[in-house]
Amino acid sequence: MLDDILRAYTEAIYNADRTTALAVVDAARASGVSPEDIVFKVVIPGLDMMIKAINDGFDTNLAQHFMTAHIAADVTDRMLAQFARPPEMVGHVVIGTAAGDLHTLGKRIVMGCLKAQMIDAIDLGVNVPAERFVDEAVARGASVIAVSAMMVHTARGENGAIKVRQLLRERQLEGRIRLVVGGAPFRYDPRLYQIVGADAWADNGVSAARVILDFIKEARS
Amino acid sequence: MITGMDRLAAAARGEILDRIPVFCNLVDQGARELGMPLETYFSRGEYVAEAQLRMLGKYGHDNVWSLFYVGREAELLGCRKIKYANDGPPNVEDFVIKSYADIERLEVPDDISTHPAFAETAHCLEILKREVGGKAPICAYLTASMSLPAILMSMEKWIELLMLGPTEMRDLLLEKCSAFFQKEIEAYRKAGADVLVYADPYGSTDIVPMSMFRELSLPWMKRDLAAGGLDGVVYYVGGARVNGVLDQVIEEVGFGTYYPGPMDDIGESMRLVADRALCGAVINDIRLIDWTPEEVRAEVKRLVQRGLKISKKLFFGTILMPFGIPDANIRAMIDAACEFGRPDRLEA
Ligand code: B12
Repeated sequence: MLDDILRAYTEAIYNADRTTALAVVDAARASGVSPEDIVFKVVIPGLDMMIKAINDGFDTNLAQHFMTAHIAADVTDRMLAQFARPPEMVGHVVIGTAAGDLHTLGKRIVMGCLKAQMIDAIDLGVNVPAERFVDEAVARGASVIAVSAMMVHTARGENGAIKVRQLLRERQLEGRIRLVVGGAPFRYDPRLYQIVGADAWADNGVSAARVILDFIKEARS
Repeated sequence: MITGMDRLAAAARGEILDRIPVFCNLVDQGARELGMPLETYFSRGEYVAEAQLRMLGKYGHDNVWSLFYVGREAELLGCRKIKYANDGPPNVEDFVIKSYADIERLEVPDDISTHPAFAETAHCLEILKREVGGKAPICAYLTASMSLPAILMSMEKWIELLMLGPTEMRDLLLEKCSAFFQKEIEAYRKAGADVLVYADPYGSTDIVPMSMFRELSLPWMKRDLAAGGLDGVVYYVGGARVNGVLDQVIEEVGFGTYYPGPMDDIGESMRLVADRALCGAVINDIRLIDWTPEEVRAEVKRLVQRGLKISKKLFFGTILMPFGIPDANIRAMIDAACEFGRPDRLEA
């Protein structure tokens, strides 16, 4: 039965169809599926299937990424309230837009998908100075710093990811904290993440959560 | 002497005079040309005009721009705060629409040509027209009704409204943005712009699903352009891909010129346009920062030749050239486009 639910849910998020996705979840709950199973056996595998589709070359669009994240976060929030025991967070991430950058949509998509993965994403907001990324990561015990930038000068700027890397090195935090970047300029130049000294990047906000999760698992092992 | 205007007119007819038109979106670079900070540079229409003319002489491409930065359109609708940078384009900082009530309150200026926030643009156009009018195509940038809300309320809030509703608010905002567009295109035409770049990223299925493209993007394009017509209007989706919708836009709207994104295959774009309109071979200008001049030359050659193999209704173009592109690469790009944009340079 879970297979059918997963299939119906995935099809709905692929169609960016919130109403159907929520109806699938409600019907599953009514038929006795636990809130834990909804998150771990429907929502998270749904995200994975979306990532796989993107990797396999299916054309997806921004609206789909937005809705995938929105629905995943929404369902997760509602299910968490019904969990038998509060789940353990998998790890912590600090996320924000680079210094000089005010564009929030990419960050929102990434955060929505992280929430469903039980990753605590701490939102530092927009136009975040490099020092703050590092200070907050240390204070909150985050193993990943995620930086979003929509323009070339904020993606490559000396006060953006490049400076985060420099601070991580100076403070000898490189073994503990990973730097992940994303946003339009990285999509137009797939080598740019290396130029700015990041450990990884992702082409879209849904896959971003997977990249970040992999680093968190690595930090825990 | 053959002018940029002659080349453009010839290309639209499917002819090449000496070479294809070479369009270059040099915007922020003007500040460096005049040796001033970007904020000072964008404060005066005469600075922008002066730099556009200098760059035209220096690089030898075909067009000039009246665009300062896209956030100017938000300023025409009441935005009071722009965030400037030293090394990149300014951005809207204060969103005119912070709540749905602001959509109801939003007022479209009656006459844009006399609006104070248009004065410097008008002055810039006046100088450009006086100096190169009729010789170099004068470009203007106008955001489509489907895409303008992104700078009035943020991309995040606009996609949220589009995808989650309420639809009445969405439609009211689109009405107002379309009314604004119609006034704006009239003002730009009156002020002397020849090439009107219709910027509509929401007219790409990279941004919205095909169903929404059909239900909203296409009808609003038609609405925006119904009164003023398509003369000189270029379909441009901000660097996203257009191949997936090209045929429909040509059939249903019928722009005279199409501006694919660097991620579109130019051969495919040319085949899809099938001589029904003029089409651009557009370089991934973000890569121009790190490529060597030789790499730039090779990429321009590849693009232009791939396009020309299919049709002569071709021009060369860029998206929004980042400030950090080295001068040598700008020269290498334009020189190569001029060199290879000729039928006699076509290699088998
Ligand atoms: C829509 C759009 C517009 C719209 C709305 C802009 C806005 N957001 O405010 C309009 C037409 C108004 C516009 C205007 C401008 N634009 Co514009 N625009 C675009 C377009 C088509 C999409 C941008 C967008 O918002 N995408 C949605 C976001 C969510 O996508 P994203 O940032 O790529 O994020 C995705 C992934 O990268 C990833 N991701 C994002 N963050 C993170 C973080 C991490 C950690 C990870 C792992 C992944 C990740 O997930 C997201 C998707 O799931 C792009 C081209 C393109 N195809 O990308 C150009 C683009 C962003 N624009 C560009 C520019 C320059 C501008 C202007 C500055 C132009 C000017 N001179 O004024 C203005 C700025 C307006 C303002 N803010 O004041 C350039 C930026 C590059 C550059 N040259 O610096 C681009 C890339 C076009 C280009 N190739 O030149 N634009």
